[in-house]
Amino acid sequence: MKQICINTANTDMLAQDPKKAAKENILMQITNASQMVKLENDPHAAFALIIDGKTLTYILEDDMKHQFLNLAVDCASVICCRVSPKQKALVTRLVKQGTGKTTLAIGDGANDVGMIQEADIGVGISGVEGMQAVMASDFSIAQFRFLERLLVVHGHWCYKRIAQMVSNTSRICYFFYKNIAFGLTLFYFEAFAGFSGQSVYDDWYMLLFNVLLTSLPVISLGVFEQDVSSEICLQFPALYQQGQKNLFFDWYRIFGWMGNGLYSSLVIFFLTIIIFYDQAFRVGGQTADMAAVGTAMFTSIIWAVNCQIALTMSHFTWIQHLFIWGSIAMWYVFLLLYGMLSPKYSGNAFRILIEALAPSPIFWSATLLVTLACNLPYLAHISFQRCLHPMDHHVIQEIKYYKKDVEDRHMWTRERSKARQRTKIGFTARVDAKIRHLRGKLTKKHSTPTSPS
Amino acid sequence: MMNSNAPSSSSGAAASTDSSAPRRNSKRPKYSRFTQQELPACKPILTPRWVISAFMLVSIVFIPIGVASLFASRDVVEIVNRYETDCIPQPSRSDKVKYIQSSEDKTCNRTLRVPKHMKQPIYVYYQLDNFYQNHRRYVKSRSDEQLKNSNSESDTSSCKPEGTIANGSSIVPCGLIAWSLFNDTYSFSRNNQQLTVNKKGISWKSDREHKFGKDVYPKNFQNGAIRGGANLTTSIALSEQEDLIVWMRTAALPTFRKLYGKIEVDLQENEIIEVTLQNNYNTYSFNGKKKLVLSTTTWLGGKNDFLGIAYLTVGGLCFFLAMAFTIVYLVKPRRLGDPSYLSWNRNPGGH
Repeated sequence: MKQICINTANTDMLAQDPKKAAKENILMQITNASQMVKLENDPHAAFALIIDGKTLTYILEDDMKHQFLNLAVDCASVICCRVSPKQKALVTRLVKQGTGKTTLAIGDGANDVGMIQEADIGVGISGVEGMQAVMASDFSIAQFRFLERLLVVHGHWCYKRIAQMVSNTSRICYFFYKNIAFGLTLFYFEAFAGFSGQSVYDDWYMLLFNVLLTSLPVISLGVFEQDVSSEICLQFPALYQQGQKNLFFDWYRIFGWMGNGLYSSLVIFFLTIIIFYDQAFRVGGQTADMAAVGTAMFTSIIWAVNCQIALTMSHFTWIQHLFIWGSIAMWYVFLLLYGMLSPKYSGNAFRILIEALAPSPIFWSATLLVTLACNLPYLAHISFQRCLHPMDHHVIQEIKYYKKDVEDRHMWTRERSKARQRTKIGFTARVDAKIRHLRGKLTKKHSTPTSPS
Repeated sequence: MMNSNAPSSSSGAAASTDSSAPRRNSKRPKYSRFTQQELPACKPILTPRWVISAFMLVSIVFIPIGVASLFASRDVVEIVNRYETDCIPQPSRSDKVKYIQSSEDKTCNRTLRVPKHMKQPIYVYYQLDNFYQNHRRYVKSRSDEQLKNSNSESDTSSCKPEGTIANGSSIVPCGLIAWSLFNDTYSFSRNNQQLTVNKKGISWKSDREHKFGKDVYPKNFQNGAIRGGANLTTSIALSEQEDLIVWMRTAALPTFRKLYGKIEVDLQENEIIEVTLQNNYNTYSFNGKKKLVLSTTTWLGGKNDFLGIAYLTVGGLCFFLAMAFTIVYLVKPRRLGDPSYLSWNRNPGGH
């Protein structure tokens, strides 16, 4: 690895403006170094840039810092030694603003606090130097080696989980989806109620919707979801790139989920309305009033929304099962208990489940129909996508599922090594460089005639 | 796994007292499957087998249900007779509202023909169109407390404008819903023999027993300048006024039917039923429609082909999707777990 040192030469103290002279000297060093880097045509060449604190005070001024940044970005490794805490923060800020990329800073001492706070992600190491770094950081770990696990396992899972909540199999998009599906049905009803603002659902249903009946599965998804296990994350660091390339958080997915919510709301509302239209809904000849229709519609929403989240999950522990099916069961239990309260509190929902809806086959078959009609398009979509355009984690999931990694260890090791990007620094890079060097010497020996030993 | 090695950090945190129990020499937190996110889990993946079986299962379940529902709906015999225009005598048709508000004799005779054998009980409904019982101000305009408790007679605040009469005395039952009670009546005869219509048990039992009091009697009802609908006999308690109870269950849509009574004899095919109805109710001010409906029920309820058709549609669609997937998997099979689909193998130029 070639080293580029930039230092402040001892300039002539008698010169006009020592500071200006020093700066010009440093600028010249930077320019020379940049030239050298540009002219290098060996693809495996790696440069290390070394700067000390004294030089940084000149470099970090506005006129020079961009040239410095351009040079630093071309180097494989940059070492700033003897820097003050303020300079650490300034360098971090320079990189953050100059490159526009996400920066991570890791440190363990009080002098790292500025840098940790300046970076997008600050990681503090708790240890000998005290807890200041830990208190100022976004994440804290006990040992430096845990950084790998933090990024590649937890970072990957975290990205997938948040994406799951939001978009496609993402969480935030799921929030859009379920509230659009629920809220639009209220809006459609207004068209049939003279736009008077009458709600088709009882107030308590609406209160509990986001609080109790659909929130627990989302929490379990956000906390426990794993698309691949932690060993796979560590063995296949390339999966981390799904987050870096932002594959799961694009407008296409967000709009797709909103569309799904719109479709679901239409299906839920119109199917329920037309099924319960004006005729008797039970063998006893009774017709459905607003409370019955509203409750039936709401039941369909709860089922559809919870089944939807079950379809997006790929990792089911007992907790997920409890939360999803438990939320649905909780709805029925709530309805039962609410109906048992005196009519003073429950109003028209008094005994609605036991007396009116539960004995009616239409209620149950309408729920089944609506739930499946809402979820089938999504199921078809993910099946097609998985078949025709599988993503990396899908393929890896299948390899694990069919135990092909056990059968064909050779393939597994090969893919694992391909999933790691070649670096220019570190132990493996030095080993690779040594091997290349030896190979080069060997081929030279073979190509030129050997001199008599 | 990377972290299964024991960390080499110091044991400074461990207590130095001697104990027979094994001491933890490191600062490593206690392992638990929950905190390390290693709970036993099932990780289902969508293989072609699962996808096709899921769709086939849905279609196998749905198509029979659809067929059964459709058959049930076809078994229902329904007679619908719209009468609000025909029951106004010709000369008054230019000003229907004036006619309905006058005190002329409003008796109207209709003839119904039974299309198929109708088994008892045959339910008699009145159907109203364009009547928005689901309007918010209408729905609010009632006092459940007053309906239940004879002591809460004066609880009429939510009932405006039909809460109290001029001298401040409360109206029982108050509110617009009660005030607009439907008041057309029907009587049926077959071969000049009267058919009895059973008007008991047409409301929900929970309403009769828990929402409408046994000791609450109508008071000051329809005493105002404008009459909204039917009158209530002051000697009958609210819990037995089943027409009122049925009416006060506000309907979800502007087109709705409400149960009027039951006919408990069979009606044979091609019989002629004579209906003598009193066309009292004013739907003319808002272009509403009035219909008389006679219907049998099956295990599913009244006549609605939609449920059966919807089930058949979804079941058919699933069957079609299952076939489509089978074709896709046969034509363009992707070997599962084939590493050539990994992104670093598909574009070998770089990540």
